[in-house]
Amino acid sequence: MLTPEQEALKPNNPKMTARDVNVFYGQKQAIKQVSIDVDMDNVTAFIGPSGCGKSTFLRTMNRMNDTVASARVEGEITLDGDNIYSPSMDVVQLRARVGMVFQKPNPFPKSIYENIAYGPRIHGLASAKADMDVIVEKSLRRAGLWDEVKDRLHDSGTALSGGQQQRLCIGRAIAVEPEVILMDEPCSALDPIATAKIEELIHELRGRYAIVIVTHNMQQAARVSQRTAFFHLGTLVEYGVTSDIFTNPRQERTKDYITGRYG
Amino acid sequence: MTTRNPTDWKSDVMRRRIARRYGAERRFRLLGLAAVLVSAGFLAFLLISMVGNGIRGFTRTEILVPIDFSTAPMVVDPATLKGANADQALANAGLPNVTNLAAIAAFGPKGDELLSPNAWLTVRDAIKADPSILGKKETLALPSSTAIDLAAKSKGSPEAEAAYAKLAQANAVSTGFNASFLTASDATDPTQVGIWGAFKGSLLTMLVTLALSFPVGVATALYLEEYAPKTWWTDIIEVSINNLAAVPSIIFGLLGLSIFLNLLDFPRSAALVGGMTLALMTMPVIVIAGRNAIKAVPPSIRDAALGVGASPVQVVFHHVLPLALPGILTGTIIGMARALGETAPLLMIGMRAFIATPPGGVTDPATVLPVQIFLWSDEVSKGFVEKTSAAIIVLLAFLLAMNGLAIYLRNKFEKRW
Repeated sequence: MLTPEQEALKPNNPKMTARDVNVFYGQKQAIKQVSIDVDMDNVTAFIGPSGCGKSTFLRTMNRMNDTVASARVEGEITLDGDNIYSPSMDVVQLRARVGMVFQKPNPFPKSIYENIAYGPRIHGLASAKADMDVIVEKSLRRAGLWDEVKDRLHDSGTALSGGQQQRLCIGRAIAVEPEVILMDEPCSALDPIATAKIEELIHELRGRYAIVIVTHNMQQAARVSQRTAFFHLGTLVEYGVTSDIFTNPRQERTKDYITGRYG
Repeated sequence: MTTRNPTDWKSDVMRRRIARRYGAERRFRLLGLAAVLVSAGFLAFLLISMVGNGIRGFTRTEILVPIDFSTAPMVVDPATLKGANADQALANAGLPNVTNLAAIAAFGPKGDELLSPNAWLTVRDAIKADPSILGKKETLALPSSTAIDLAAKSKGSPEAEAAYAKLAQANAVSTGFNASFLTASDATDPTQVGIWGAFKGSLLTMLVTLALSFPVGVATALYLEEYAPKTWWTDIIEVSINNLAAVPSIIFGLLGLSIFLNLLDFPRSAALVGGMTLALMTMPVIVIAGRNAIKAVPPSIRDAALGVGASPVQVVFHHVLPLALPGILTGTIIGMARALGETAPLLMIGMRAFIATPPGGVTDPATVLPVQIFLWSDEVSKGFVEKTSAAIIVLLAFLLAMNGLAIYLRNKFEKRW
């Protein structure tokens, strides 16, 4: 059994890499020359003050920024070595491989079952009803929601509590068997108990999926992640093992943020 | 800097302010209530006056005429009554003449003028229903002439009033349901007119309008909201569509006349052209309502669908459109209701012709309910007044049925989500 510190220092096994990424919204540059490796075996946390670009960068990693007409991305982001911005990359398949969980729980206004089954269905992952039932149960179990909803799978997903909705959204992302899960402040709309459940869930999902979580909450980053990236004004200031970032930051700006000088 | 005195919340000024605020709220509530009552009053007045006038359009005055078929100068082979040519056989055998002679026998030399020219049709139907009456003497209730009908409704000429009084004294009149009003089409004599032709014309026209404007309108709205890049081109299209919704309807009639009739040479007076013209008018309404409904779908749903790897088309058809459908249907109801009541553009494309047979299809000459109402309201003969009101009742019933269906569909889709 490794201690958390030892575990955090396991050799890197990059799943996604970014090299010299710039993101522009019209004339305004939101991300400046960011290079980072996202690990398969570790949870990576993006921290930084509001407007620092951490969410923007997260959304470039599965090309959700494509929906913003004025957004423009330069540089290279790869998934298993393939550039996701190359013309040969299919965006729809990319988003199935790199799933996303949003800040506000956004279940479809459909039944709990349909919420989970939608992704596998459009990607043709299950043909028979029995196969789909298995996928739904497995995804809900992995999202830690099965015991709470197994008797009401056909109730509306929007009737669940906020924390349950967010776990349903995680289950929905898991259902298509992604390789990476991006979480954009998944707990900012939840109460502390629901937050604790999501954090526990992130622990359990670690290793099976590469997980990137954007958070405002530094304690949360310290609790759930093994790697932390600190963003400030669109640049990546410091990236390293979480315990190092919080106990022994190398950059002055990181230290100021960690100690609460600004944020 | 001066120091502020602590606010005295119980001072007279404060008390007056509170009293004023309560007064303002009370006045506003009363105004609202008064507005609702006034509009309800207008609606009640409209309904009462329509139903009061129109209900008489659905009834007719009937005269009881005894006909002795055994002595009538008419020979009919009972076998032909079973065949398809029964109508023709009875007409050839001189049934109209028999009917008139019976009336003369019963009510004097001018007795045949008391009856509607179509009275013998009622006799014909009675014989077909029960051929055995051919050997007997029967008393049948036959539709009266327009003059007598008006007299019965106390609006007739002095002579007709006198004739009616005489008939009434002889207990030879009754009032019956005018079924032919719902099954016949336009005619020159008000007792013989019916609404079926115009009703069917309206139905066909609405079908054409819906089939064209709904898919085109929804597709336009979806494209403009979901796909179109925001350039000055799309801005111009947007402004044009908004302006199109405000264009007076007669302009669309002129457009239909010059494009569909003059340029493309489509059949004149047909439900097809009427429907196409009204579709031009309805489409912008559906586009505007559709765009608003699509805009109201929360972006988080689009993100969610994109996030699990749905393609843009799947996002639109699996999520955005179903969520926007109730709103789109509301816009469609408004647009179709307006199209159903439209007269002016249809006058321009020739749907005001006198059409005595119901249209068999969308390319046959037809008229529609509002145009029929307009035409009848223009008639000099007094008998048309109540027919006009009756036609308005039919139009309103059509409108209510159409809206009811749309509201039912809307609620059904809302429940599914």
